[in-house]
Amino acid sequence: MTHQSKSKTNPHGLTPVGTPGIRKAARADSNDIVELIVRLKKLNNEFDPLFGVVPDAKERAKKYVSASFGKGRTLLMVATAGKKVIGVARAEIEERLFYRPSREGHITEMYILPEYRRMQLGEELLQRVTKELRKMGAEIIVADLPVRNEIGVSFYTKRGFRRLTEAFAQMTQ
Amino acid sequence: MSASMKEAHADDESKKALSYSRFYAGKVGVAPKVPVRSLQDFGIWYTPGVAAVSEAIAADPELSFELTGRWNSIAIITDGSRVLGLGKIGPEGALPVMEGKALIYKYLGGVDAFPLPVRAPDEEQMISLVKALEPSFGGINLEDIESPKCFEILDRLRKELKIPVWHDDQQGTAGVSIAGLFNALELTGRKLRGSRIVLFGSGAANLATARLLIEAGADPKDLIMLDSKGILHPERDDIDQLMVKNRWKYELAIKTNGDRVKGGLKEALKGADALIAAAGVGPDLIKKSEIAVMNKRAIAFLLANPVPEMMPQDALKAGAEIVATGRSDFPNQVNNSLLFPAIFRGALDVRARTITDTMVIAAARELARHAKDRGLSKTHILPTMVEWKVYPEVAATVGSQAVKEGHARKRASRNDLLKSATDMIKHSRMTMNALRKSGVILDPPE
Repeated sequence: MTHQSKSKTNPHGLTPVGTPGIRKAARADSNDIVELIVRLKKLNNEFDPLFGVVPDAKERAKKYVSASFGKGRTLLMVATAGKKVIGVARAEIEERLFYRPSREGHITEMYILPEYRRMQLGEELLQRVTKELRKMGAEIIVADLPVRNEIGVSFYTKRGFRRLTEAFAQMTQ
Repeated sequence: MSASMKEAHADDESKKALSYSRFYAGKVGVAPKVPVRSLQDFGIWYTPGVAAVSEAIAADPELSFELTGRWNSIAIITDGSRVLGLGKIGPEGALPVMEGKALIYKYLGGVDAFPLPVRAPDEEQMISLVKALEPSFGGINLEDIESPKCFEILDRLRKELKIPVWHDDQQGTAGVSIAGLFNALELTGRKLRGSRIVLFGSGAANLATARLLIEAGADPKDLIMLDSKGILHPERDDIDQLMVKNRWKYELAIKTNGDRVKGGLKEALKGADALIAAAGVGPDLIKKSEIAVMNKRAIAFLLANPVPEMMPQDALKAGAEIVATGRSDFPNQVNNSLLFPAIFRGALDVRARTITDTMVIAAARELARHAKDRGLSKTHILPTMVEWKVYPEVAATVGSQAVKEGHARKRASRNDLLKSATDMIKHSRMTMNALRKSGVILDPPE
């Protein structure tokens, strides 16, 4: 099922970029998704050196994406502009062993290409992901991202998410 | 002048600057505007008489523009974080430069400019400091503040202050650049819209130039910007973080380069009509082979000081038809001093609340018109500082544009503005000549 939203005005004043849409990812999208995931990891690295991206990130991303298909607990969705894949979200259903709410929809990656931001595509993608995760039984949505990724932090904060856990890091000598 | 003569000349100027600075101990000072006929007059200029003036202003603070010198006073503010080619030399080190600027403001624009380098370690402190100074001034000139800090400071202050805030390294350089470009385009039979313009360097000057060009009618898709990492395009790996770290550059990275050209300067310049380089000290930053791939009748602005990104003769040899630099010893000097005294003269004369981009563009067009009136040629696309009549004309244009846009506290016709600006600037020059003739301002010792 393809969700088509109404035509968007690009805030940067460019010509229309194709009708934007959100849908579940297909295997044919794999290469595009890999690119987007590697960009996201590099973005995290721009903000924090403790997220140094490994040289074979692309190879790893291919396996990672490939393994995300056909699993009942993993959700992979893409945002599109015309035929072009311009954003991705990946999430997993997890059980919280000691806490309630117990069933968690855990967003591991979410990324929209720079020039397609500020068009509410991220917002729509998040809504669709939330909806799908709810269908999969999720009672709580948790997005996982480096605290120094100011773009991500601001995105979720604006949408009513709050900090849940903190991971403290220090290099060994 | 030969290269060695130029060097000797620069060396001589440095020596003189040091010894004269010691002799004069400051380039500007406060001079009275009112007569003191006897000490009795202090009862008028100061207490008790002055209390009546204070009460009137307290009741209506806008009167501070009429009853005090506020209307003609600006502060030249810097944190000393990016001074000339010297870098981060601190506020004290910046003081001689700001004094020099104040002198130019007075001499060419009749503006009372106060050199005010401040100790402000971050943007917020700088912003609150300038806001605190607002009641004393009719305008603010920000100077030599590092990028991208300068963008945030300018944007915020332009929004939050009710007097014009100007950052000369952004708007000043950009304004003169586009004035020169307008004429260079005309001379080579081009229109702004449809011309492919490459902006090499994405610092304060070129980001502002790109913004003004778009405002003036350039198609953003025909602009290509480069920074130290190459051509800006939306898919470059480091673009994401720019969204947070330098949103001004980010916006342009997304908006410009419609063809998604990737790579370096050579790729950018292929088929380009004009190059505006504000990238850093040359002379080897741009190669002849890079200029050679530009369109026929190419335009090259090489604005780095003291050494342009490439020497103008090399650009000409490589095929450029019109070359401009930031230097006075080559033709076509893109010189901020052509604009800032006139911009503030005009803004102050109408008690403007702001200086908009469209006011800067109007000023640039006026500047371009002056060069055109004297006849455009490959070596004459801009007026020079000696054509002092340009200043009141540009000032009047800025003032009337402010009135037109509804940013003026005081309405006046262009003719009246031209007259008042001419008077102010003449008066300033006359005063300085009179002081010199009477021996109050001494000639430097031999």
